[in-house]
Amino acid sequence: MIANPEPSTLPGMTTVIIFTMLKLSGLSIRLGGRLVVDDVNLTVEPGQTVGLIGGSGSGKTLTALGVLGLLPGAAHAEGHIGLGGIELCGAPERRLRQVRGCRIGFVGQDALAALNPLATIGRHLCIPLRRHRGLNRREAARAAGDLLERVGLAADTVRAYPAQLSGGQRQRAAIALAVAGRPGLLIADEPTSALDPPNQAGILDLLRALPPAADGRPTALLLISHDLAVVARLCDRIAVMHDGCLVEQGDTAELIAAPSHPYTRALVASARALAA
Amino acid sequence: MRALTATRRWAALTATASGLAVLVAALPWLRGDDPARSVLRARLGEREPDPAALAAVRSDLDLPADPLQGAGQWLSRAVTGDLGRSWVDGASVADTLTNAAGVSALLSGTAATIAAIVGVLLAVPAAWAAAGRRRPRAGYAAAALAALPEFVLAAVLITVVAVNWRLAPTAGWFGPTHLVLPALSLGIPTGGLLARLLTTAVEATAAEPWVHTWRAAGSGRRELATALLRRAITAVVPQVAVLFVGVLGGAVAVEQLFAIPGLGRIALHASLAQDLPLVQGCVLFLVVTGVLVGGLGITAHRLLIGPAGQAAGLIPAVPEHRHSPYAVPLTAALLLTTVVGVGLLRDAERVRLDQRLGSPSWDHPLGTDPVGRDVLAQLAHGAILTVGTAAVVTVLSLLVGLAAGLRGGTARTGTADVLNALPPVFVGLVIAALAGPGLTAAALAAALVAWVPLAVHTRSLAEEVRASGYYRAAELCGAGPGRLLRRHLLPAVAGPVVLHALARVPATALTIAGLGFLGLGAGHDSPEWGAQLAAAVTYLERAPLAVLGPVAGLGLLGVLAATPGSGLLTRPPGRLLLRGLRPLHQR
Amino acid sequence: MTALLTATGLMKSYRSHPVLDGVGLTVHPGDRLGILGASGAGKSTLLRLLLAVEAPDRGEIHFRDQPVRPGRPGTLAWFRRAVQLVPQDPYGSLSPRMTVAEIIAEPLVCLRVPGDHTARVRELLAAVDLDPALAGRRPAALSGGQRQRVAVARALAPEPQLLIADEPVSALDATVRVTVLDLLREASERAGAALVMVSHDVAAVRRICTSVAVLHQGRIAESGGVEDVLGRPGSQATRDLLAAVPRLPSVPA
Repeated sequence: MIANPEPSTLPGMTTVIIFTMLKLSGLSIRLGGRLVVDDVNLTVEPGQTVGLIGGSGSGKTLTALGVLGLLPGAAHAEGHIGLGGIELCGAPERRLRQVRGCRIGFVGQDALAALNPLATIGRHLCIPLRRHRGLNRREAARAAGDLLERVGLAADTVRAYPAQLSGGQRQRAAIALAVAGRPGLLIADEPTSALDPPNQAGILDLLRALPPAADGRPTALLLISHDLAVVARLCDRIAVMHDGCLVEQGDTAELIAAPSHPYTRALVASARALAA
Repeated sequence: MRALTATRRWAALTATASGLAVLVAALPWLRGDDPARSVLRARLGEREPDPAALAAVRSDLDLPADPLQGAGQWLSRAVTGDLGRSWVDGASVADTLTNAAGVSALLSGTAATIAAIVGVLLAVPAAWAAAGRRRPRAGYAAAALAALPEFVLAAVLITVVAVNWRLAPTAGWFGPTHLVLPALSLGIPTGGLLARLLTTAVEATAAEPWVHTWRAAGSGRRELATALLRRAITAVVPQVAVLFVGVLGGAVAVEQLFAIPGLGRIALHASLAQDLPLVQGCVLFLVVTGVLVGGLGITAHRLLIGPAGQAAGLIPAVPEHRHSPYAVPLTAALLLTTVVGVGLLRDAERVRLDQRLGSPSWDHPLGTDPVGRDVLAQLAHGAILTVGTAAVVTVLSLLVGLAAGLRGGTARTGTADVLNALPPVFVGLVIAALAGPGLTAAALAAALVAWVPLAVHTRSLAEEVRASGYYRAAELCGAGPGRLLRRHLLPAVAGPVVLHALARVPATALTIAGLGFLGLGAGHDSPEWGAQLAAAVTYLERAPLAVLGPVAGLGLLGVLAATPGSGLLTRPPGRLLLRGLRPLHQR
Repeated sequence: MTALLTATGLMKSYRSHPVLDGVGLTVHPGDRLGILGASGAGKSTLLRLLLAVEAPDRGEIHFRDQPVRPGRPGTLAWFRRAVQLVPQDPYGSLSPRMTVAEIIAEPLVCLRVPGDHTARVRELLAAVDLDPALAGRRPAALSGGQRQRVAVARALAPEPQLLIADEPVSALDATVRVTVLDLLREASERAGAALVMVSHDVAAVRRICTSVAVLHQGRIAESGGVEDVLGRPGSQATRDLLAAVPRLPSVPA
């Protein structure tokens, strides 16, 4: 099933049709009968960085899991999730498995728990490298080393187990894993909140300079965070979620200059009050 | 939460084993009776031994008069391999044990192999289901197998396979065919238990965040299932000692039933004859084996984890709460209550020698026993005896468990680990050897074992509370020990532990029945279920149906005992079973 | 002016790894001191020593010139009454089995503070801007901000002379952080209690503290008035902390 393509006008050209990277329309998620994400409409264009901000329980993480088709058992999504023209909502697991790690990468919060303690970093990287990029064992090993250097780790980290790395190193490895399949979109869910301030800055810089996607374009980023300052620093656009609803979205500078929804206003005021 | 390092586990293991060894060494004097008298009684059954005979026995067996000296002497000789001589036939204990050890090793080795195969085979579907984002369904089969007591399974196998189908010999030890049924009856329940542990670990592992990461990276189902299973096996390996010691415990009943000249059977006969040197030797042998296997488990765990480091030893996250089918345990409970209710109205005492071993009929729905009593009535009255005793034992062990668990302290952790692994049969053997068999002795043995898991559970809950923010906040509010206990510890601990204790009643009843079956519990004419089954087994070839009553009752109890694995108590026993894999982590 | 709390030469090691290496600080009545540091700087260890939960390996703590030594639960009542904690995690620090009123009254009961506890609880609920109707509820029914208000009310209950706050807003939603911080400042001012706040958050310290001590690798790297230290940082540790603060892009108003 093909989602509606977005007509888009480029200056000095005729009208061409370009697929948006990710288009959520009317996405709702029910968790055990309770509506926890309510009619979310959001688009991410290729190469764009979009921040999804909200407090705990606002539904931002569930939205991300919904896109990946990784909702917990009791949750159910309805609406449309278009990924470059493919409908993901209700897609079979087999289809989703081809999308995850290949078209969409995912980085979670706590990299210690997010990596299998019994598998080396290299073993982790082999999952997308061999499955999505079709590399053989030796090629995958070499690609893994290159990738690790790209995210600021030594190439021999392939042989390390997660427990042998520091928090910042683990998060870098997790990002390498997420982009190993050269996805067009990376979803990062609170990637810095388990880290120290100095490490946080490093990870944010890394997210700003992600390796390009398979088609050579920059990787789009959907950054999920509770911290307005972090999101504002990294993102072109910001979407604000509150109580399961997407209450406001817009260009970062405009949204911070003139927040319209009361929750956004409170967020901006709070961030300003605590701005050092 | 404090946890044990591998070194401390080893230390605890050896310390407890040495403690047990000293206790074993002092056995002859623990009876509060002159060993020389016991010897004469054991040999001749004489009531009033004359002094000359006593002195002769003393010099003959080289018995010291003083307990401390005796225990010391026994221990120092045990180190050199001299375990003394049997009080009954004067044979060297070490020789008897060496002969029997080969038989036992073959039997328990085969059983362990069967258990490993059954366990992993049953756990594979769970891993496959979890990798496919489905809830594992295999749990119930594993729980049912795990709940089957060895002696019940053995009785069923003998009845069906050996007597009815004549596919294997009923008893004896003359060749490979004689190994099949005993190894199966030992291995299958252990395999079920192993599968349960693995399934719980797989479920817990499936809830770990890395599974999400693997899925998000596009991992295939087979790849993920393998990783899940590998992690689960790593987590369960330290528990193999407990499982293996369980096999050794089950071997007592199985060897007895199949008349296999192994260690278990020798220990049982020695205990019934109050032949203490032989009991001492058997217990020592089993303790040492247990410690060795436990050490092997710890070492294997370290090797498996390797450089993955300490975090890999972390206990997996607690699986999501699941709503399990209540239908099966509920049906079992209802059936049991109905049978007992109906049976209680009938006369259990009336002996009709003209109706011995009768088949089921309108008058006697479950037939009659070897002296013509109504089996249904016997079953019901036995239920009151078996389950009632279990209830009393449970209340006692609940109180002791709560008290011991709330006292805290890490020193006891290792001890509790070891005691937790001690099969009740061994305790029953020792107590019967000391005090003579009987229902009270069986209850005492059951109680000595039953308080340990409750104490462990209490302690782990109490540790959780003590580590909680609100407990610390209360301390900083100036709360004293009394208030901390009353307002914060007890309310958090009591509910789950009482539920846990309730859920263990069927298991305790099975323990008591098991001891009764071996003749270590209630006497042979008692309607107590184990004793009743033992009596019926004697007449197996003539009246195979007579075992049905007790087997069905014990089977239903088994289903109930398995309920905590799937019912509202998923959490505590699951965590308890997995406790052993919490060795190397945060403090 | 006599000092409220003095700590001198505090040393503490775990497994021969030094965590605190000679820390000294003084809190006077009315002070609001922020203890800043990255994780691993020794903040939580210092906090445990200041609260007399653990004893230092070396060094001493005095409260109003009386030595403070940790003891078994229930001892040291005079110190517990004078020094109260506002914990970090409002979700874990309130017993799920007690009502809000019981939680707030806990120090009153434990420390045997005389007076009408019910009236005092009502007064405290008003002081932290909580609806009196919440008194009978359990923590599960409260939002994070409300729970932290309950924790503040509990700390204020025995009329302490010193409040120690451990990252009091780091677990809260961004929009309520400012209000809880302001509440903490106002409440301590109104109750006439000094405040020590341990935090990694420069902004939070700047908002409510008068003086600051920067903890780095188990030592005080720098201390002084908030404006001095954070305005003209004299140590690398302070500069690193300041650099790590994410800022909103400046937008023309």
